[in-house]
Amino acid sequence: MTVALALRGLGKDYGARTAVGTVDLDVVRGECLGLLGPNGAGKTTTISMACGVITPSRGTVAIGGIDLAREPYAAKAKLGLVPQALALYEDLSATQNLRFFGALYGLGGAALATRIDWALGVVGLRDRAVEQVKRYSGGMKRRLNLAAGLLHEPELLVLDEPTVGVDPQSRNHIFETVRALRSDGMTVIYTSHYMEEVQALCDRVAIMDGGAIVATGSVRELIATHAGKGIELGLAGPTEALDAATAAAAAHGSVEREGSVLRVIPTAGLAAMIASIEGAGVTIARIESHEANLETAFLALTGKTLRDDS
Amino acid sequence: MIGAAIRKDLWLLLRDRGALISLFLLPIIFIVAFGSMFSFGADRDRPRPIAVWHAPDDSRGEAITRALADTPGFTPQPAPSADEVRRRVANEDVGAGLVIPADRAQPVELSIDLGAPAQVRGPLQGALSGVVMRALSPVPLTALPPMIEAQTPPGIAKPLANISAFQVTVPGNAVLFGFFIALTVAMAFVNERKTGTWRRLLAAPVPRWKALLATLVPYYLVGVTQLVFLFGIGIAAFGMQIAGSIPAFVVLSLALVLCAVSLGLLMAAIARTEKQLGGIGSVVLLVMGMLGGCMFPRLLMPPFMKTLGLGVPHGWALDGYYDVLVREGTTLADIAPSVFALLAFAIGFAGLGIALFRFER
Repeated sequence: MTVALALRGLGKDYGARTAVGTVDLDVVRGECLGLLGPNGAGKTTTISMACGVITPSRGTVAIGGIDLAREPYAAKAKLGLVPQALALYEDLSATQNLRFFGALYGLGGAALATRIDWALGVVGLRDRAVEQVKRYSGGMKRRLNLAAGLLHEPELLVLDEPTVGVDPQSRNHIFETVRALRSDGMTVIYTSHYMEEVQALCDRVAIMDGGAIVATGSVRELIATHAGKGIELGLAGPTEALDAATAAAAAHGSVEREGSVLRVIPTAGLAAMIASIEGAGVTIARIESHEANLETAFLALTGKTLRDDS
Repeated sequence: MIGAAIRKDLWLLLRDRGALISLFLLPIIFIVAFGSMFSFGADRDRPRPIAVWHAPDDSRGEAITRALADTPGFTPQPAPSADEVRRRVANEDVGAGLVIPADRAQPVELSIDLGAPAQVRGPLQGALSGVVMRALSPVPLTALPPMIEAQTPPGIAKPLANISAFQVTVPGNAVLFGFFIALTVAMAFVNERKTGTWRRLLAAPVPRWKALLATLVPYYLVGVTQLVFLFGIGIAAFGMQIAGSIPAFVVLSLALVLCAVSLGLLMAAIARTEKQLGGIGSVVLLVMGMLGGCMFPRLLMPPFMKTLGLGVPHGWALDGYYDVLVREGTTLADIAPSVFALLAFAIGFAGLGIALFRFER
């Protein structure tokens, strides 16, 4: 089993504030690892350190076995970054953008032209190659952003929220591209706020919260280990009482509220939680068990919902 | 990689109308406006009219009028009355006037705005007093050996004859707007950070110094192109001349652009947003230009301001350009102080810029 990316004791401090505590993570060659976490969890900081964009305060990064601090250029050559922001020159055409980004990786001449043609073909933009990027739709820009990260055929592709703000058609296109790249043997790290994307694409998931990785495993493992039994409670009562009931329930497990519905994962028995809720002055009108999924596992691990934080 | 960066930034610049206007079009408008305002150059040989009135057949008045007509730079403009002379001066139709009373016991009246700046009024007053004294001297002054002779001292090259106002306004505006490349450089860094392309650059296998250089070199070339364009227009359209050595002119121009690009790096290191750059950056550049004499010749400034002008690179650049453009035979050695001062400013700006620049902001 070859490791494509190894993070050892990686952390970043900004003055007295710790953005990322200590992260240890291995990404195996050929796998797709999903990195999940609410805003402020430290995902982008971790990715930025892994890609050499920011210097870590502690720890090491090895890309394809090459230490990033000792041999930064050899290590970075193996990696392709698709940043969350649309890192493109909007006044230039797709080809002009890719020509510049390719040159950063030492590509030039006919080899670069071939790679540009390939990358634009992969993301389905070959017929719009000479058009200014500012005339593209949001989805097309996202696809070009992806093409720029692929141009030099990296061993490891890091996608930071690659589908933010795109139409369903472009999202599907990006999905299909990632799947095709994986089947060609490329290692992928995929961060997203969308559980279903991670669930559909990734072999393994690392969940980050508060600047640390709180769990790693396959989607099935995470659900089995952490999701527990999800329960949905339909409550009746005045708003103040519903607020008090939510606070009381939170003392007995993970709680997510939507109007008068509470989705809970009790940590120490359902009976104690129900007693606390009723003690707050509300009536439980309905109790339903619902299927555990990655979302409930995430909720159990972090006490937060992913979408609400996005 | 630097070659790719040059191509990329040139394409971006060609599509940025605002930058093109401020770097290439605006200076031309300023050159034309200032050149027309300070029409002391080509117009220098056009005699200045001086309103004159004297009583008919007054020999004193006739002698003064003749002396005035014989003086290069002046032409008498007879007026029907003393009041008419005063009216023409008050209306600024003429710069000064002479009222010569018939009674020889009374002095000749020099009608001039005593509230005008001493730099403007003094030379005119002195020259007209000299004309009157020469006309009224009991001994013809031409019969006497010359009392004073003007000579350029050794060490100062002879200025070109018949220089036009553009000889001064072209370099003035070229220096002023040449330094505006600093704003374009700083804006390029801000945009790279804003769009996220800077992150992509940092993630690439490129040394950080090279990433910095890749953003600076294209604008150095743009700066050089800008000066070639402005001085080219100056020579082709406005009759500007290069009196001194062309290599000296080229070295001075290259040092100027280096200094401006280094200043851009410093501005990029300090400013975080486009707003800060657009507001504070432009004001700083305009004030530097003003102190350096880009808008008003430093030669005419009070001593304190003159000295202050050497605290900004613009002042040194303009001193160098004045010598190499106006004084015949000026060599690189003659303008070495200006070149070294610009290089020193460039090193200072770049050093400070590199020290303050945050790659990972």
